[in-house]
Amino acid sequence: MSKTVDLNQEGVQVKKSACYFCHQNCGVLAYVKDNKVLAIEGDPEFPTNQGGLCSRGNSALQHLDHPDRINYPLKRVGQRGEGKWQRIPWQQAIDEIAARLSDIKGQFGAEAVATAGGTQRTDDWARRRFMNLFGSPNGFHNAHLCWIPTFMVETAIYGWCPFDLDLGNSRCLVLWGQNPGASGMPEMHHIVELQQKGLKVIVIDPRYTETASKADLWLPLRPGSDLALALAWLHVIIYSGLFDQEYVDTYCEGFEALADHVADFSPEWAAPLTWLTPDQIRDSAVMYATNKPGNIQWGTSVDQIGRPAGATMHARALLRALTGNLDVPGGDLLTGPSREFITDEEMEANDSLPEEQKAKQIGSDRFKMVTWPGYGRIAELSKAFWGKAPTAEWMCEAHPPSVFRAILSEKPYPVKALLVSATNPISSYGETNLVMEALRKVDFMITSDYWMTPTAALSDYVIPAAGALERPTITSSYGCADFLLASQRAIQPMYERRNDYNFWRDLGVALGQQEHWPWETVEDAYFHKIEGLGSGTENYDQFVENVRFHFPEREYSKFKERGFATPSGKVELYSTVLEGLGYPPLPEYVGPTENEIDHPELAEKYPLVLTTGGGFMPFHHSEHFQIKSLRYLRHEPYMDINPATAASLSIKDGDWVWIETARGRIRQKANLTNGIDPRVVFTQRGWWYPERDMRDPVLGGCTESNANVLTTTADKDCDPFSGAWANRGLLCRVYKADQSDDKEVR
Amino acid sequence: MTRYAMVMDTRRCIGCQSCTVACKIHNELPLDIIYNPVTTIGPTGTFPDLTLSFLPLICMHCDNPPCVDTCPTTASVQREDGIVYVVDSKCVGCLSCIMACPYGARQHNHETGTVSKCDFCKDRLEQGKLPHCVATCHQKARIFGDLHDPDSEVSKLVKNNRTVQLLGELNTDPSVFYIY
Amino acid sequence: MSDKHQNWGWMLAVDFFFAGMGGGMLVIAAVVELFGGGTRMSLLGNLLGPAAMCIGCGFLMLELGKPLRAWRVFMNPKAILTVGAWMMSVAIVSGFIYAAMAIPLNLIFWREWAILGKCLAVVNLVTGLVVATYPGVLLGRLKGRPLWVGPGIMALFMLSSLVTGCALHYLCALLMPVLGTLLASTLTPASALYFLSVVLVPVPDAAIWRVLPGGIAALLLLQLLLWSGYLWVKQSGATAAEAASAQRWISGDLSLAFKGFMVLGTLAPLVLMLLPVEAAPALGAVLVLLGGVTMRLLTIRGGEDRTFLPGEQKFRLRLPTGNEVFLRKNWR
Repeated sequence: MSKTVDLNQEGVQVKKSACYFCHQNCGVLAYVKDNKVLAIEGDPEFPTNQGGLCSRGNSALQHLDHPDRINYPLKRVGQRGEGKWQRIPWQQAIDEIAARLSDIKGQFGAEAVATAGGTQRTDDWARRRFMNLFGSPNGFHNAHLCWIPTFMVETAIYGWCPFDLDLGNSRCLVLWGQNPGASGMPEMHHIVELQQKGLKVIVIDPRYTETASKADLWLPLRPGSDLALALAWLHVIIYSGLFDQEYVDTYCEGFEALADHVADFSPEWAAPLTWLTPDQIRDSAVMYATNKPGNIQWGTSVDQIGRPAGATMHARALLRALTGNLDVPGGDLLTGPSREFITDEEMEANDSLPEEQKAKQIGSDRFKMVTWPGYGRIAELSKAFWGKAPTAEWMCEAHPPSVFRAILSEKPYPVKALLVSATNPISSYGETNLVMEALRKVDFMITSDYWMTPTAALSDYVIPAAGALERPTITSSYGCADFLLASQRAIQPMYERRNDYNFWRDLGVALGQQEHWPWETVEDAYFHKIEGLGSGTENYDQFVENVRFHFPEREYSKFKERGFATPSGKVELYSTVLEGLGYPPLPEYVGPTENEIDHPELAEKYPLVLTTGGGFMPFHHSEHFQIKSLRYLRHEPYMDINPATAASLSIKDGDWVWIETARGRIRQKANLTNGIDPRVVFTQRGWWYPERDMRDPVLGGCTESNANVLTTTADKDCDPFSGAWANRGLLCRVYKADQSDDKEVR
Repeated sequence: MTRYAMVMDTRRCIGCQSCTVACKIHNELPLDIIYNPVTTIGPTGTFPDLTLSFLPLICMHCDNPPCVDTCPTTASVQREDGIVYVVDSKCVGCLSCIMACPYGARQHNHETGTVSKCDFCKDRLEQGKLPHCVATCHQKARIFGDLHDPDSEVSKLVKNNRTVQLLGELNTDPSVFYIY
Repeated sequence: MSDKHQNWGWMLAVDFFFAGMGGGMLVIAAVVELFGGGTRMSLLGNLLGPAAMCIGCGFLMLELGKPLRAWRVFMNPKAILTVGAWMMSVAIVSGFIYAAMAIPLNLIFWREWAILGKCLAVVNLVTGLVVATYPGVLLGRLKGRPLWVGPGIMALFMLSSLVTGCALHYLCALLMPVLGTLLASTLTPASALYFLSVVLVPVPDAAIWRVLPGGIAALLLLQLLLWSGYLWVKQSGATAAEAASAQRWISGDLSLAFKGFMVLGTLAPLVLMLLPVEAAPALGAVLVLLGGVTMRLLTIRGGEDRTFLPGEQKFRLRLPTGNEVFLRKNWR
């Protein structure tokens, strides 16, 4: 509560809102009077957070009316990046953008328009709806780095992604490259509570993170070597007879082939590749396989290892089936999409996109799993079994690096417009130099954001986005969960900000899509989604106030009666779906994107292994660097380096150092820590300096400490399944920055 | 007689600094005043045999507070329930209390010229609410209550666990207990 | 920003110096009055004693975050600072009334009352001793400041106050006839300063002026020994914090200043006091004063070291220092 504001005064309403600074969507109570938020606090009755609120959530009011927020539509005057803007009315912005897009469509086809998004922060089904109706297949997010490839590979094998962990009944949890202690507070709390009741926790992470420090077993593997570990686990489980014989015999196909396939992938084989000892590998596999029921929690890390990603997801997925931990009480549940409310996919108007447009989706020729070829196949199987399909906006996207290359090279065809919403590609997409070149070159770019990000600074129009307190929120795991939690907006958007839903709707209406957007407000659209729940309420706000959650009864072991949503109806250890798409039906070993065994000359020049992309408080990707009370606590970027390595490089704690890969170099301060292998370094992500000049070429110092300057998105470095690029397991070198460098960069 | 105390369960603390930020923001503190730093201890050991823990610091609201008697103006006050706070209108900013506190819990507020410190959110306690830092903690690593009430969570935790008081050898008798 | 103005600063060190010196001057003047067989210290010296305490108070008030509320420091009888404030107030008043007794003006109607002189001397002795010592008592009780905690610092402060008090009295005694002659030769009878010059009459040569340099030398020897002993005890001390804080003086960032204090501020004047060269003790006295200021400044700086908690220094070290660009933005 504010010390100075009386919350008991007349006219104060309490709104059941949600925080959206990450997609845990913790419940937030907002005290509102006259469309002003007086105070916020964590909602004690919201199941996710039970009153807790992290540092970001607590800064909500400083975010809401921050002096640097974009509050009005801006139109560029002068050169791109010159920083000169003209404020224009919302409708004018919409009309002009629509006119331009219409033009481009006429000249180059709808496919010449692409959209870029970030992690889930917006109503992405609305974005997809617009794009489908417009006719373009080239929408994308940073999906490739975040869960989506895993979702699709696992769905290919057993008919849905078992992301709903039945932890309450579980005995062992494997956190495979996930650090909820620094990024997912409610999840961490849940885990710690269960540990007190005896849950065993295995953490697979090169760094001794907050979460690793609370684990029973920590596997500090070489970044990017998860495939070797997963294959060795398969080997151990099969050849030590630890698999669930009944489950495998009755519900799985391809066991013999798998057993043959992993015969050579022993712990002794995996040890030098993973930098773990054979005992560590063996013991951890045994711990998971014998403490049942057990869970494997997905983490972004495996999506972010580049070339081996798809095979790793495949291998990891098989572990659940072999141990019988799939869709059983205490295991990882295949809930399938909701049959009770309207899912995101059903709101996307996917049928409106003509087949010939689908075929033009950039990247779908090479990377099938998260584009129309793979998505189409999986959606087909999914609809046949569950009646519904996964969300297309996320699971079926253009390949971002290929779109950036298409902007530059006009191959396979020119991409002339980029609509950016809820992302700062300069910070978050791989290979920053490629991204920046593309953003500078693209004919037409608009950005919808809270802030003047470096990307917004290079745009032709900047659209003001309304944030979490100014919008209702439905939480439903990218539209793929069978449960939902509903929250209401605290206030109407301030100034001339609009909800992203309304942006896409307004743009669609201006482009003739009127009849497809019958819901005027977000609440109308949401109410349409949940109407089928039969809650007896008359509008969305009432639903939030009186009902709020939908948690269906858990149905375990559905496979006993219905089988799995695969061609054979069983778990396909040997995956015919993957095979049909041209991928190996069994996980084949390939080394990390850059490694000392396959690339010895590279390793000589760049002798250290880089891992990056992991989150840390109080920031989220490239957000919150402008919130003084947060920035005060962590005002400079730090990279983790082992003290022995630092000493050999004459680096002391707090020294500025350069971290360099074959793509470029960045500067961060050295944090000497024992919690990382002497051969590994970790750089923080997301760093830019919004206090600096936002005009080109400074652009808020967006390349000075930005980890994505170091990454690569060349086809050969990406996962052949999905096109995901690597943040982990690249080769780098580190050296001290000397004083003269200070002048160079400031 | 109520005696407020806090228990910090360092087995749960993950050093996320949510408490640090919640306190700063909701108490509208000047930027450089931090009542609740959370420090990092480690990772100690040699890779990969390591331990790591986090230490949330705060005013200890000592039973034997060095800061109260040192104050020449009687601005530094301890209530019967143990809460130590500053009566801002009486403070002259001599900083003796800052020099007296072994825990660094008091800070000179450059905007007002006086000294500020944590007061266990005593205004919120009156409304039956918990201090900000306690309410906001996702990990439920901070527990607050009446040490003299045998049924309260704090007294049960102190009774049933090995706890440590920081700088106990200085005989300040802090009423913040650390479980490790 | 992390530690700026979060500890006592140089103004308090200067306050301690002036107040302590003033207290010491009062003590010496009182001792001479009571046991000196009819002599007194110089008028200038006796005036400068309480005046120094006033200057000290002035610095104290400037150091306060809220100087206009300074009167509040008299309020808490349990606080050493309050006791000190009261004592100093009494000392200043008593000191001036006593000093005035040497002014040959009818305005000073009590100047012939010998009993009053003795009583005031007793008051001056007690209050002066308290003022000379109480900052050391205060510092010695601060458990969170490892360099200060313990009984030793009290003795060191008292010692410093006495030796600087002696030194200034010595200089005043030398200066008085010089000042008087100077003023008399430059002023007209009508000016107030001429009047002052009449007041500054030469003091007859007293045995005390011959004894004083020896006394100062003895005090300096004691200072040399006590400081060496103090740091040695701290450095091999009970806690790591004490050893670390002492190390700053022995080989760390404060070692140069400390050596300056010991050599130029203590050893050199000790030698000068004993040299039979005429100007030597005067030079020595000046060095003693400079040494006294240095010692207080060093002590205050040394107090920045707190009983830091695990991980705390690293946390504070990484906070912004105050010059960062982002701090100047109008962000929230």
